[in-house]
Amino acid sequence: MIGNNQKWLENNTFHHGEFWDILKLVEEKEKKGLKISLCIPTLNEEKTIGKEVLILRSELMERYPLIDEFAVIDSGSTDKTLEVASNFGADVYLASDILPEVGDKRGKGENLWKAIHQLKGDIICYVDADISNIHPRFVYGLIAPLIRKNEVQYVKAFYDRPLNYSSGLRSSGGGRVTEILIRPLFSLFYPELTNIVQPLSGEYAARREVLEVIPFPIGYGVETSHLLDLYEKFGLEAFAQTDLDRRVHRNQTTNALGKMSFGILQTFFNRLHAQGKIDQMPNMETFYRRFEVDDGVYNQIIQEVIEEERPPMIDIEGYRNRNQ
Amino acid sequence: MTIESMADGMTLESLLKDIPSLIKSLRENRETYLTDAVLLGEIPAPTFGEEERVRLALDRFRENGLDDPEIDEFGNASGILPGKVGSSTILVMAHADSVFGPEVRHVLNVGSDSISGPGIADNAIGMAAIVGLPKLLDKLGIQLKDDLLLLINTKSLGVANLEGSRGFLETKQRPIRAGICVEGAEQGRLSYSGLGALRGQINLSLPSNYDWNRFGAAGAISHLTRLVNQIMEIPVPKEPKTKMVFGEIHSGSSFNTSPKSGMLRFEISSEGDEVVEEMEAQVNELCEQYSLETGLEVKMEVVAKRQNCGIPFTHPLVKTTRSIMSEAGITPAVDPTTGDLNSIILAGHPGVTLGLTQAENLREANESIKLEPLYSGIAQMITLLRAIDQGLCES
Repeated sequence: MIGNNQKWLENNTFHHGEFWDILKLVEEKEKKGLKISLCIPTLNEEKTIGKEVLILRSELMERYPLIDEFAVIDSGSTDKTLEVASNFGADVYLASDILPEVGDKRGKGENLWKAIHQLKGDIICYVDADISNIHPRFVYGLIAPLIRKNEVQYVKAFYDRPLNYSSGLRSSGGGRVTEILIRPLFSLFYPELTNIVQPLSGEYAARREVLEVIPFPIGYGVETSHLLDLYEKFGLEAFAQTDLDRRVHRNQTTNALGKMSFGILQTFFNRLHAQGKIDQMPNMETFYRRFEVDDGVYNQIIQEVIEEERPPMIDIEGYRNRNQ
Repeated sequence: MTIESMADGMTLESLLKDIPSLIKSLRENRETYLTDAVLLGEIPAPTFGEEERVRLALDRFRENGLDDPEIDEFGNASGILPGKVGSSTILVMAHADSVFGPEVRHVLNVGSDSISGPGIADNAIGMAAIVGLPKLLDKLGIQLKDDLLLLINTKSLGVANLEGSRGFLETKQRPIRAGICVEGAEQGRLSYSGLGALRGQINLSLPSNYDWNRFGAAGAISHLTRLVNQIMEIPVPKEPKTKMVFGEIHSGSSFNTSPKSGMLRFEISSEGDEVVEEMEAQVNELCEQYSLETGLEVKMEVVAKRQNCGIPFTHPLVKTTRSIMSEAGITPAVDPTTGDLNSIILAGHPGVTLGLTQAENLREANESIKLEPLYSGIAQMITLLRAIDQGLCES
């Protein structure tokens, strides 16, 4: 499996710099007759939404017509998010107004899900609204593998290209929840998915035909469920990932991360249950998988972690006999 | 006021009449330049470290279809938008460098009516107005007769002594009809003359065998303070208008340790070159005297120096600029400069410096610009460009 993993990493991991020629992407997109929609889910994002709409719209719709449709789908912001977004030219929708017959649930996943109905694109790209250093690469870096490779269905972002310091390699890090929750869980139950460097990144692009056949948790579990459900249906080959370099966003409190982890765990265990991995628990993997980068090449580092246990001391004959 | 154009009959009056619709179009097409302001402004570009920002400007020149986009030996990016006739050239330039180093978080925030963040006013928005000019002119349906030479110049601020713009103008041999320097702020600024100026740095240090028991012994901060007091005794004439500014002082590292060295930076600017020369000599003498009297090493270094230059207030370029400002609802404030305009004028070309919009907290990390005045600010720049192109600014 290590060989397969390495092959997948080599073939399906990109850097946004490979797609700098946006004009060429536009030509390829048009040749394939693809329509592309961009969706930003929002809830009280007035500080960052203006810049995101301004830059993405003017660079990827006006300058280079890569995006055909740009929508902000909002969960009911009480600040000026909608006003600012509309001011800079985005189509703005309230999630509650889309498919009203199915009711209104509040959460990012709800907005992403309703975007499938509202938007017309063959490819939908989702970008979070809280990126301080927004740049067109956050969109074209995700869309490009879908334009270029017909077999790719879903492209995840990852960030902070690891650097090779004189003191040694810096581990390729996701966020805290990724490193202490998702990666260990994937290592145990879905080892192949550990190839995804940052499984929780909020930016991804996918083809309509795969988005419409998977359920969407409305809360924190949406990114995890996408990976698990698409992996189950299409395997690892359906995925690709793109290094988008640095992403600056607000830091979350440990409490917020705990809440997020709880939501993710619910989603995760629901899948385990549905896929029969709880009822008939398979042998758990003992290999912990993470990444290092050496001179631009991503390498999966596999460490065996066996949680050996000692029995209660009272079970040890020598202990019981120690005072005799 | 009506000035008949020599070329095709377009008058200043007709150009002025276009300003309201121009402002409207610039408001509608604002993403053309606001996006570049953010993308350029988020790349740190301290003086002598502008490469990455200039590279993006060059990419934009290429993308916007300029001829001969290039980065020269001074690190400046330039390109040419060919005119219908192309017998002469109008230079429009903005400096790329900012006072913020790479350690400052270069994140700009975009609101409905303002953009804030380090360097947005000085000079990301100025650069963006130039970088986006070919697209804007195209969208506005304006085609010039003259070639338009666009320049994003480096090494403008502080100790750089206008190295970028001077180098460009000394080596670029083109028949330049006039030049416009564009600054993000402050709107209304009208510079048509460059002040004679000297930027000096005084380095003061105690010798290793300094006798702390000697009468008058003190640390570097005390000595620098005394020296500043003595320099302030130098008479600063009212005529010609002269100014001395102590801009920067560095010394010491803690509460209770007498520092052994210190540095003072100052600027003398004057409408009289002879005054600058004289005051330079006096500061030099004071440093020597102070050094001999105290046993300290006190040395003055001239880090930048420039001569007075300018075009008269009555020059048609200045008169036309004032008319345009007035029509755009901008109140002119005459402001002699020590900036890149000096390079244009010293190279023998008429020129002015314009400010595009209103700014707050200039050169602070929370610097911000207002968007609404920006549209009239860019309208004044484009109208002046058209007026120069129509031969309405010739002496």
